[in-house]
Order: sequence, then C-alpha cells, then structure tokens
Amino acid sequence: MSERLEDFSLGKSMQPKGSIQKVGVVGCGAMGQEIAVLISQSGIDVAFIDVSDDRISEVMMRIEKQLDERISKWGLTASEKKLILSRIKGSTDYSSLSDCDIVFETVNSKKKGTSLELRQEIFKKIEAVVRPDTVIASNTATLMISEISSVLKNPGRAMGLHFYSPVSKVKIIESVRSVYTTDETFGIVNKLALLIGKKLIRVNESAGNISTRMLVPLINEACEILMEGVATVSDIDETMKETSGLQLGPFEMADKIGLDKVLKWMENLYIEFGEHKYKPSPVLKRMVRANLVGRRVGEGFYLYQGEKRMPKQGSITNLGRA
Amino acid sequence: MKIIVLNCGSSSIKYQLFDLPSREVLAKGLVDKIGLKGSLIKHSRNDGTEVKLEGEILDHQIGIEYLLGILISEKYGSIKNLEEIQAVGHRVVHAGEKFNGSVYITPEVIAALEECIDLAPLHNPPNLKGIYSITKLLPHVPQVGVFDTAFHQTMPDFVYLYGIPFSLYEKYKIRRYGFHGSSHRYVSKRAAQMLGKKLEDIRVITCHLGNGASIAAVKNGKSLDTSMGMTPIEGLMMGTRTGDLDIGAFIQIMNKEELDITVANTLVNKHSGMLGVSGVSSDMRDVEKAAEEGNERAKVTLEMYYYRIRKYIGAYAAAMGGVDAIVFTGGVGENDALTRYKTTAEMEFMGIRFDQEKNKGLRGKEAVLSTPESAVSIMVIPTNEELVIAEDTYEIVTNLK
Repeated sequence: MSERLEDFSLGKSMQPKGSIQKVGVVGCGAMGQEIAVLISQSGIDVAFIDVSDDRISEVMMRIEKQLDERISKWGLTASEKKLILSRIKGSTDYSSLSDCDIVFETVNSKKKGTSLELRQEIFKKIEAVVRPDTVIASNTATLMISEISSVLKNPGRAMGLHFYSPVSKVKIIESVRSVYTTDETFGIVNKLALLIGKKLIRVNESAGNISTRMLVPLINEACEILMEGVATVSDIDETMKETSGLQLGPFEMADKIGLDKVLKWMENLYIEFGEHKYKPSPVLKRMVRANLVGRRVGEGFYLYQGEKRMPKQGSITNLGRA
Repeated sequence: MKIIVLNCGSSSIKYQLFDLPSREVLAKGLVDKIGLKGSLIKHSRNDGTEVKLEGEILDHQIGIEYLLGILISEKYGSIKNLEEIQAVGHRVVHAGEKFNGSVYITPEVIAALEECIDLAPLHNPPNLKGIYSITKLLPHVPQVGVFDTAFHQTMPDFVYLYGIPFSLYEKYKIRRYGFHGSSHRYVSKRAAQMLGKKLEDIRVITCHLGNGASIAAVKNGKSLDTSMGMTPIEGLMMGTRTGDLDIGAFIQIMNKEELDITVANTLVNKHSGMLGVSGVSSDMRDVEKAAEEGNERAKVTLEMYYYRIRKYIGAYAAAMGGVDAIVFTGGVGENDALTRYKTTAEMEFMGIRFDQEKNKGLRGKEAVLSTPESAVSIMVIPTNEELVIAEDTYEIVTNLK
C-alpha cells in the first residue's frame, strides 16, 4: 500500500510538533522499572538500557512481577498488563535509544561517593546516539543538573526530573531546569507530563529539591530519638503516620528507599550545605556498613519476609539485632 | 441531506455518513489509536470499497480532518466537496440535568456540557473534542448533540433520587441518570411500530444487553425507570461491571483490601461482572461455552446474569402496572437465544407465551418471539444509535431553516 494518510489532509490543522512516541530509560533499577511501566501504560514505547542480557531478563521479570502484584490488588487487568509489557524492550546497546523523544537516566550506583561522573558518562553516551532534539533527563535527587549536563555538547536539552516512588500513585514530578535548559526542552517535558498524567512541580536548582531535603532531616531526627532511647522504631513510625499524615513512617520509608541510598543523599546534602542537620546519623552509617540496608536485603530497621514487615527485638546498640 | 454522525471516544472516533431522509449510510469507518503509536483509519463505502490508511493522528481534530479528506477524495469518497455536508450529529454521553432531548449546539450548549465533565470525566471530554474540531474545521455547518442520558430525563424524582442526604444531590447532582438512552428510545419506538400500536398507549421493557447492559421501563413513550444510575455501574451484572452491589459490602472490600479510589474504580468496572465471577471471560459466548463444558463457576455466572434480568423485568412490570412488550437489543440481546429464553421462561403468570421455535437460532434480526395469544409481546430489535443521532440531527437542522 503506497497511500499515506497524510495525502488526505485538508491542510487545516497543524500537526502539533514533537509528539512523544518513544522514551528511553538508562539503568533500569527499581525506579527505572516503575518509570518504564508508567510511560508504557500511557501508550508510549519504552526502550531501556542495562548492563547485560541477564540483567535485562531480570528487569523484565521484575516488571512482570510488579504488574502481577497490581493485578492481584485490582489496580490493573491482565490485558492491560499484556499491552504494557509489549511496549517495553530492553537492550545493552545504546543505539536502541536513537529514535527516542526523551531519555531518562535513572542509574543507581552502589559505589561510595557521588554518582556524578557515572551520570555524566551516561549523558554523553546518550547524546552520542539520539536526535538533536531529544531531551535527556536525570532522576537525580541530590546532584545538580547543570553540573551533570555540563559535559553535553548541547546542555540545553537536559533537565532534572525527579520521580517519587510509588510512581504509579504519586501524582507529581519535581522538575528542575538547569541554567542551560531551553524552553523547547521544557515544552517537551510538559507534554510528557500531560500524557502520563503527572503534575510538574517546578523547583529551582538546589540539592535535594523539596522531597529529599525534607525527608533527610526527618529520618536523621528519627534516628536521634531512637538512639536516645526515647521510643522504639515502630512507635516512632506509628506516631508520625498518625500525626503527620505520612503514608510510611520515617524508618519504614528509609528501609524502602534503601539505607545506602539515604546515606548517600545525606552525604551529598551535607557536602553541599555544610549544615549539621544533614550530617548522617551514626546509626545509619553503622547499618549501611553492616549491609543492613532495608527491604531489599530483608533487614534494615525492620525485618522483612516478602511483603511482611516485622519489628526487630534487640537493642539499638546492637542495631536492633537480638 | 448529508449528515455526518460522530462518536468520539478517548482514543477513537466512530463515524458514519448518512443521507436523510432516505436513511442511507453512504460510508462509515473508525479512526483508531489517536495519539498512540500505529494510529489508522478504517473506512468503507456502501459499494463495498474498503481501505485502511495508517499514519500519524495526534489528536481528534486531525483524525476528523483526515476522515473528511477521505470522504471527499476521488478514490474513496462519497461526496464531491465539504459543502455537501449539511450537518454533524454528535453522540454525547452525559448531559446531566441540562438537556432532556437532542439540541442544536451553540456556545451556550458547549458551556453547559463543559459543566457536565465532572459527571462523566472519561466520556464527555472526547465528545467535546469532536464538537470543538468540527467548529474549527466546518465552522458554518450546524451541529447537534444527542445525549445518552436525555431520554431518561423523564424519570420522576422518586425514581432518580438516591436515599442519601439531599444536600449531596444539591451540591454535586448525585442522582440516577441512566444511559443507552438513544437505544432504549429507538427500540421502544420501533416496537410500537412493529406491533401497529401507538407508543403513547403501551408499556415496554427494553433490555439493552451488550458488554454494558441496562434495562428501561418505557411507559407511554417515556422512560419511567432504568437500571443504570449516576454511573453505568448500577443495575444488571455486566461483562466486567458489578451491577447492583451492597455499598456496605463494598466498604468492607475497600477496608480489607486497602483500596484507594482509583483502584476501587478499576475493581468495580474492570475486574467484576461475568469476568470476575466466572474467572473465564467477560464475553457471553466464552462463558456459555465454559458452562457447557461443565465449569461450575461459569454456570452460576450465567444463572446470576439471567436472574438479575428477570428480577428487573418483574420490577418494571410492577412499576408500570403491567407490560405490553419486552424488547431485546444489544450484542447479547440481538444474538443470544439462550439469554432471551432464560430471562422470560416460566413467566406465564404475566401472560407471556414464549415461542422457543421462533427464538432458536435467531440472530440480529427484527422478530416477535411470542405466540399470538401471548399478552406480552417478546421482541428482538437490533438497535441503531447512529440512525437515531442522524434523524435527530436532520429534524433539528430542518426546523432551523
């Protein structure tokens, strides 16, 4: 068939420019997976990049598990799941990003220190393969988008877009323009937000944006209260949930995010602001050194068996272990 | 008069080009996957010419522009130029309490419909997009809105009010509205014609049984009651919707399963009904097949489905003080002989004499399924909502002149 639909245009409507058909995700950890699902669910193709073929099959398996969980909790139907999965494709090859309209960098570095250089490296790799008008976004919480994007040939295409977990439920994204970000870039990001049903909260470039900067002292203070022996882990959590309308208490939240990640945020904020309130609590440092980093490993401030969360019985001097 | 009928959904547009008063359908088609990857238009002309065209369709207006382009094209078209189009009729889902019949669309009407978005947040916005698009593309062509809820605006207050604090009705217009109005109106009118009686003289129960399903009590040509309420969830058990459900039970479910509002909405709209109970499918044919093969849950699903229809038939016969005709329409109603039989069998006490011979194997055709002695006529009438929209549009536009 050689006929094209465009041949039947009456020339009366302008095709809105820059429709979003495909989005890339580099580094498909827990957050990357949630973002991939959200975007695919909105009818947009997703190409994700990860380090190995094994890792890619693992990511697909985890995404499927995530969707099955939502089906079992009535939030999704089996046919919707099939559609969502059909639009997500993984690869180790950056060239599969070449036709993306937006590419997200969502890496999760396990190494010590900041992930600035890693993220910059990825930004460069993305820029090498995509179109000149493709937007490149970072999900960083505490690093500066101006600094990450300074390595790009065209830093005007970069933005910070900080999603918050659970992505399917949280209605907002913190959006950060760097000193370079162009209006065109912001326009495309706005369009994406509309398509995926999220509201952009505009934040001026500052480490920790709003969410992380508020959360870090909360967790730190909870650790102080715990260390002073004022109350137990679960009593602190319950009190904060009941009195402040939080969905998760500070310790539940820290365990869910991963204590190593929380620690890294704190260190970044402490370096940035030099304020004592961001200085990581010794409890947190000890837990991370012992690799008791939370839900992911089955133990943090609580013990985990699958979805089940149980309080620890021991004293905090022994990190809660009996 | 050439009239285009548009039914705009969230990512699709169904359209037909009618010639009135001859009622001839000159062309029809579907614009699909608007704003998504792989968008296309499937178009067919009444001489059998069919074409599928793929391309980028980013919004409703572009989709409508292309379909107009196809309609006037040399190869696939049915008309020479856009000036031949004399009116456009739109299906609009929810008109709240604003309109009790089809209306000529003016800026005031558009404003009123915009106020109704709250009542049908999924359906009304795409319907309005269709209206905005035609306003831009064919600014001089009169447009008419035909509403799913309009026919049921004759329901009296004691039928449409819920047993909730009256202030909630005043504040948010929480009340029963009913849907499938064009279908119930069309088949009840057609039933009277087929029976050779005046619609004003008869009491009809119309069963629109499709993937969504509702029953209406049409007394003397006016809707007295219908099974769908504020939303299309109330009433009969449907493919994936619960139908009537004790609110206390639902609060318990929300509590036990810790559901938020979005998920609760998905549960009652997409996971429930025949699919939810049977675990097989939302499609009647699949459930019937499973039941034949001995699947117990499929069997009970069917029994539930039939029983609820029977219950409503009984209720509406009582509400109207009797019934003269029961009409089946919609995909299941028009094609499924078993459903028609099971929902009206053993109702001789009401004067029903069902002729199973006439019923068996009858699909998608107008027919009377009761014996001549039957006090109540059981009928099959394929619905035609597009024709209703075209005829209303024709009538309103003709009277404008």
